[in-house]
Amino acid sequence: MDIIVCVKRVPETAEADIVIDSTGKGIDKAGLVFDINEWDNYAVEEAVLLKEKYGGSVTVISMGPEESNETLRRALAMGGDEAIRLTDSAFAGSDGHAIATVLSQAIKPLPYDLILTGVQAEDDGYGQVGPTLAKMLGINHATVVNGIERIEGNTARVHRELEGGLEEILDLELPAVLTIQSGINEPRYVSIMGIRKVAKKEIKVLGLTDLGIKPDEAGENGSKTVIERVFLPPVGEGAEMLEGTVENIAERVVSILKEKGGVA
Amino acid sequence: MLMVENDSFYEKYELFGCIQCGKCTGGCPVSLNSPLNIRRLMQEALVLDDLESIYQRDDLWACTACKTCTIRCPRELRPSDLIIGMRTALIEEGHIPKTVIEALESAYKYGNPWGAVKNKRSEWAQGLDLKVLSEECHAEHLYFVCCTAAYDTRVQNVARSMVTCFRQVGLDFAILGNDETCCGSEIRRMGEEGLFEMLMEQNAESFKALNVRSIVTTSPHCYNAMKNDYAQDGLVVRHYTQVIAEAIEKHNPFSKEMKRVITYHDPCFLGKQNGVFDEPREILKSIPGVTFIDFDRSREKSLCCEGGGGRMWVEASDQGPRSAEIRIRDAVEMGAEILATACPFCLLTLEDAVKTTGNEEKLKILDIAEILVEAL
Repeated sequence: MDIIVCVKRVPETAEADIVIDSTGKGIDKAGLVFDINEWDNYAVEEAVLLKEKYGGSVTVISMGPEESNETLRRALAMGGDEAIRLTDSAFAGSDGHAIATVLSQAIKPLPYDLILTGVQAEDDGYGQVGPTLAKMLGINHATVVNGIERIEGNTARVHRELEGGLEEILDLELPAVLTIQSGINEPRYVSIMGIRKVAKKEIKVLGLTDLGIKPDEAGENGSKTVIERVFLPPVGEGAEMLEGTVENIAERVVSILKEKGGVA
Repeated sequence: MLMVENDSFYEKYELFGCIQCGKCTGGCPVSLNSPLNIRRLMQEALVLDDLESIYQRDDLWACTACKTCTIRCPRELRPSDLIIGMRTALIEEGHIPKTVIEALESAYKYGNPWGAVKNKRSEWAQGLDLKVLSEECHAEHLYFVCCTAAYDTRVQNVARSMVTCFRQVGLDFAILGNDETCCGSEIRRMGEEGLFEMLMEQNAESFKALNVRSIVTTSPHCYNAMKNDYAQDGLVVRHYTQVIAEAIEKHNPFSKEMKRVITYHDPCFLGKQNGVFDEPREILKSIPGVTFIDFDRSREKSLCCEGGGGRMWVEASDQGPRSAEIRIRDAVEMGAEILATACPFCLLTLEDAVKTTGNEEKLKILDIAEILVEAL
């Protein structure tokens, strides 16, 4: 079972104060902490679990600048065997379609039975790369996968998470792309010692010409979407900010919940 | 045979030296409320022959690293270090509780185990006009605040009280501001040795770059880590109670009477592990009007609050009463109105226990720094 996992290094924004940058089309990333995209972390863990169960290899691929090596090394420490980083100034500004183009060119010459990606990325949240990649490679795909029940011969039985607590069970012919949902497993901890142990492992670096991509197929030129503007949602009406001591706020919250029928 | 890297457990922790006397388990604060039996573990570590057999053991996460077992061992063995060594083995395999993973990853990414962002670290000091150490700004002492005092809304009041006390006794001090990084005490005791070394190096480098000679800490955990784990040459590390006790001896700063009955809970990392028993008591006794009473289990035989050793990030087992609850009941029974302590973790665990035992009306939990501010 040869598995390829596509991972992305993203800024963590959950706790940080977000500021729009001077272009108005992105956020100011200075001072933000970067880490592996949460969904991709589950995808790497799932790949390593499958390798532990069925044997084979795990190759991790990331598109990004040198800093992405950190993300790749982390994935190697989790149990990945090889790492490839795709980088070129011509890749800047790629949308989901252009990223899938670059990834598919890198993946085509490799042996693979399964390709795992996260459902979506924490930063842009498009959720497009997985399905687009499958289309470009001409193979099956399943999205929002929250369980891989078994793999027999060249068929995988997978569970998909649907709305309202429903679950769908699919049999897919391999090779296939699966986009992995968070919660599918419990990603293992990667220790500093573990990362140090893989520090010298080679990370293969490939650019535009290595991949046989034309300049107009990647980056902004190869993208199908154009970002017009990025902005923080304006403060809406109906929000009441409660002030005062913790006790006062708590009392007020309880009375509001009672008023609006939230509690009996 | 259990191995850590190339060392075998039995050699590293001198397991053949154990005579199974049971003094370790007898003194262990969690032996009554968790499956951890440290005497048995010393024996099991000898006969277990693969690491996989310890992966499923939750009892390893019950240890509070209070070190009572190591301090009491008649053979001078280090049972508490064996647990940390086993945790290290679990960490290298990645098999650890999710809450521990979150704390460790946060310490790596943000320099604190609380999942809070770095640029909000000095928000507690807003409006206090504190000096922040830099190449241009010097001070005689570095006040090392601690992640918990910097971010926890309850413990922030301790840090602010500390500033008032320092100013009152005329201490020339500055903080590191948002550049302060976790001391790594709990990280090491959770078994993440590599991350601890990284944090220690970061701190040691900034101390050197800023020519820091003297550090005063809020937390006994930072104090112990810097004094004993870092053991940096030429660096004097003191807990704030030592600094304040010394200042009070020279000059009485109190202007008010405080007619209250106060007892004191010894933090393990300050008392048992570093012998600082007298200074906190001297401070409390010197406050005019205070009646000081001591626990039966005080000083060397003080009962651990269960907040150390990474336990702030581990779901507690509920097989018996929590030590902090026993502590609260004892304090109420002997008529204390205030239970003083001098550690952010003790403060939080004891305050939780006051609520869970329903004693909020009878007993107040305060840090010594907070009591001082009331009496100044």
